[in-house]
Amino acid sequence: MAKVSILNKIYNSGPLILLYYLCISEVDTNLEKVFDIFTLNFQIILIYFWVLKRPELMANGHIFLAGLINDVVMGYPLGISSLSYLIIIFFGTYVRNKSVNTTIASDWFTFLMAMIFSNLLFFSLLNNFSDLTFTFTKIGYNMFFTLFMFPIFWLLFNIYQMTFIGMRDA
Amino acid sequence: MSVSRDDFSIAFRSALLQRGGAQKFSVLSLIFLALIIFFLDVYGVKFTKPVRGIINDVVYRVTFLASTPTRFFPQISKDLSKYFNVKEENERLKIEIEKYKSLELNVEFLSDENKNLQNILETEYFNKNLTNIVLAKVLVDKNSPFLKSIIINKGTRIGILKGMPVTKDNYLVGRVVETNYLSSRVLLLNDLNSRIPVTLDQGAQAILSGSGSNNPILEYLPEDYEILEDINVFASGKDGIFTPGTPIGKTNEDGEVELFVDPNQLSFVTVNFNTKVQENF
Repeated sequence: MAKVSILNKIYNSGPLILLYYLCISEVDTNLEKVFDIFTLNFQIILIYFWVLKRPELMANGHIFLAGLINDVVMGYPLGISSLSYLIIIFFGTYVRNKSVNTTIASDWFTFLMAMIFSNLLFFSLLNNFSDLTFTFTKIGYNMFFTLFMFPIFWLLFNIYQMTFIGMRDA
Repeated sequence: MSVSRDDFSIAFRSALLQRGGAQKFSVLSLIFLALIIFFLDVYGVKFTKPVRGIINDVVYRVTFLASTPTRFFPQISKDLSKYFNVKEENERLKIEIEKYKSLELNVEFLSDENKNLQNILETEYFNKNLTNIVLAKVLVDKNSPFLKSIIINKGTRIGILKGMPVTKDNYLVGRVVETNYLSSRVLLLNDLNSRIPVTLDQGAQAILSGSGSNNPILEYLPEDYEILEDINVFASGKDGIFTPGTPIGKTNEDGEVELFVDPNQLSFVTVNFNTKVQENF
């Protein structure tokens, strides 16, 4: 029984561990080496899905901390990724509060809204308060591929949820 | 109508202020905290620089440890393929050695002649201090779509300053843009923020600008200058930071510069202490 409980805890911590690992390790989801324009913000997909489906597994404080770590590793001004992730949390929580039942299509649409606001804040702050330069084409590709990949990860996370955690939808 | 507005405001307020259960902090309080941290970091209040330095050093070390498995497995497959190709490689290297033996005599003659001519002209031999370099290990090489940089394991403790040039096998790879006590961040030549003065084989001057992709581009070339393929590009040293003549890459058919060192494959680099860099960035 105790073994099952430990396993459950590990499965429940899976999304958070993945988020921390993606932020702190060299592992990245930007496959520019394979396909020149393919860049993807996997962290926001991960946060949005789990905040929408099982917010108790993704504590706000942990997401905030993961954002700070991401800033240090990436060389961005401290706090900027945290802000971007918190906007995603805000949208996720709002949609969760407002909706009774969600589908992949509704989640996909609300994710687009969340991503637009989150990236708008991220790049406005970066543009106005740092010396970093970026091209709008890159941002466009990044947003497109993040949006494009959302349903695929939605399905994968759903399978993970059903297999290891158990369903308890909004 | 009013019910729907109430619903909206309740859901909105709840999303911002909701706490309890696993959520120990509300989104609103964390947004305020993130904004405070952001502005403290951006405006560089006196105490934030050393604090950020310490945080950077700790996080970079943890990142290095966390990334060990991802480095270990590709290395094994690389080693295995090297082992199976050893005979073929041996034959290829033998041919190359023969080629370089014949070139060596020629290079020796030319370098002696160059030194003699510089003595006659009484100009400084710019490579005389080339030994004043320090070897550094690449701790983190995280690929970001917006910032092409690496973290090295040497910092202000051994005297690294912002702006110092970084090379690999004497080929230029970038310059130091952030220094901590035990680590530094190196901006690579292909980053969008990178701009360095260069000289081409035929003597033309230009600015090498990072494009965000693997190959930087040449800007501010002389009017009517046509970029041909296979033209070597060197640092001109006009900025007083990079050693003049440091090889960088060669032009390709698209007019871009193919770097001699693949920026995605760096494991050890050298930081050049020769140039008189002032940390005034």
